[in-house]
Amino acid sequence: MVETLYSVAHTLVVLLLGLLGPLVPGSGAYGPFLAVWLSYLVVGALVFAVSLVNVLVFIWWERKLLGRFMDRRGAMHVGYAGLLQNLADGLKLFRKQPFSPREADDLGYYFGPTAYLVISIAILGFLPISFGFSGGAVPLSLLVALALFSFAPLFIFIASWSSNNKYSLIGGMRTAAQLVAYEIPLLLSVVAVVALTGSFDLNVIVGDQAANGWFAVPLILGLIIFFIAMLAEVERIPFDLPEAEAELVEGWSTEYGGMLFAFTMLGDYVRALIGSYLIVLLFLGGWSMPWGLSSFPLSGIVFFQLKTYAVFAIFIWVRASLPRVRTDQLLQIGWKRMLPLAMVNIIWALALVVWGYPVIHWPAL
Amino acid sequence: MVQVHEKTVKKAEPPEDRVKGMVVYPMAIVARQFVKSLWRPSTILYPFGERLENEDFRKTVKVESGAPIGVGEIWDNYRGVHGLNIKTCISCNLCAFSCPDTCIEMVNTDAGGGKTKKCPEIDYGKCSFCGFCSDACPEGCLTMTPGYTITTNDRAHMVYSPQRLFEVYKAKLSQNPTRIALPENEDVILLDQDLCIGCNACARDCPTKCITMIDIPKPESKPGEKLPKRIWKEPTVNDPECVRCGTCISVCPRECLYWGARK
Repeated sequence: MVETLYSVAHTLVVLLLGLLGPLVPGSGAYGPFLAVWLSYLVVGALVFAVSLVNVLVFIWWERKLLGRFMDRRGAMHVGYAGLLQNLADGLKLFRKQPFSPREADDLGYYFGPTAYLVISIAILGFLPISFGFSGGAVPLSLLVALALFSFAPLFIFIASWSSNNKYSLIGGMRTAAQLVAYEIPLLLSVVAVVALTGSFDLNVIVGDQAANGWFAVPLILGLIIFFIAMLAEVERIPFDLPEAEAELVEGWSTEYGGMLFAFTMLGDYVRALIGSYLIVLLFLGGWSMPWGLSSFPLSGIVFFQLKTYAVFAIFIWVRASLPRVRTDQLLQIGWKRMLPLAMVNIIWALALVVWGYPVIHWPAL
Repeated sequence: MVQVHEKTVKKAEPPEDRVKGMVVYPMAIVARQFVKSLWRPSTILYPFGERLENEDFRKTVKVESGAPIGVGEIWDNYRGVHGLNIKTCISCNLCAFSCPDTCIEMVNTDAGGGKTKKCPEIDYGKCSFCGFCSDACPEGCLTMTPGYTITTNDRAHMVYSPQRLFEVYKAKLSQNPTRIALPENEDVILLDQDLCIGCNACARDCPTKCITMIDIPKPESKPGEKLPKRIWKEPTVNDPECVRCGTCISVCPRECLYWGARK
């Protein structure tokens, strides 16, 4: 049995219930039931906390790096080097009154960004930050994560349609078209990784890379395709057509203010976090480091986070450098360039397997 | 004609160049910018900018050779907040008259010894820092200084009373050059003698006291002719002392003073 977040939480909860149970009369009858659901709660809270802290640091990292790229300094005054600026902004958004436009459909208007954020954070329960640091040992964790990842255009479209605003609707339709178009090269470049490892389990994929070297070396083409497709999936510049400020006011989140806007913003950054995590997990070796660097306690998490921030730094670098593409260019890049290249990548991966790339079939967890 | 056509047609750029020009080149530029920003200050940070007015700090800042100003320095003739020497102000109104933004108002000010006089009060909410007032000031008492830290949260605090401007003056910041040289053959104040009633208003209000009232002989009345009712005096302008403020023209009740070429 691998120690996962769930098993650790379950052990702790059972211990705590054993201590507190005698104090609460009649709680013994619900003991196992309570233990299971309390450990679910603990795991959920842990994943939520980790993701939100990471998102806060991500926004700070983007502000500082973008400032440097633009010959500014970024956030400076709240906290050390502006680290608490995002908390201050969040507090400001939290204090605002929630409202909806008169003609909007309230159910979809409130449901859209909330579900967008929730489904994005739920993915993080399946992504291991280090060995076993995930909600549970899921044999198909990569598949589940990517399946949940592709739910976003549905909720974005619900939110934009319910807003009853022309700009929102155009942004939502662009989002749907873009995200569906770039799912295909994204998934096809994942196929090459799965072909080399023979497993959908992210723990196995990382273990394979720890043994045989990072997939960024044999699958460099796949890494580039995955990176570009992920840029489009998380709607960042140069693929930020759904939020094109010059054309659509704020894209699909035009009508949102206060905490709902914070939800859309958080959702964007959580998805960027997931994108960075996936790139690190699939191509950059996850928490493994060569030369025995990852043999110290907790070094796996440290190296994983360092790699994640490095990948996100490249996201920011691209954002600071490149202009937004047109719609026709977007679809041309997606269908005419990325899709054939992804096919070439799959054929290359299969050829590697045929030529004897050492596929290690790890024991089932 | 065929040759012209061949010249105007350009070959399409190969896709490699397009990728290089639109992806690699901008990313390289941005990366260079990032590396530069690591060891040199990006901007003058507002709250710490005041130390730039400290001479010792300014000496420590290195300026690239040949450049008149580098990071962390201010031009000596930078037009910032005004300094006003209340003691030498003559209340001539020229600053308010020359202001294109009408941000200067002449207000009563304690001149010491129980006396009051009009001195300029400047609203920096309107001021465009053009420096015309400083150029117009004949006494050199209203000058522009390099001070620029005038930002506040309160709109009323943007209005600088003469005393506050005097505080700026007393801070002894470097001042930009005072009044530009007067042009030659400048217009002078002329008098229409037939209209003047000798009321002394011009001499009373002249800020430089360069107008003196001189007695003129009372003509003898001829039979049947009525002499005008007036005081038999006439203003005379001491031209080298005149600052051309025009106060005498504006206060004259009979409009007998006017600008004109020197006779």
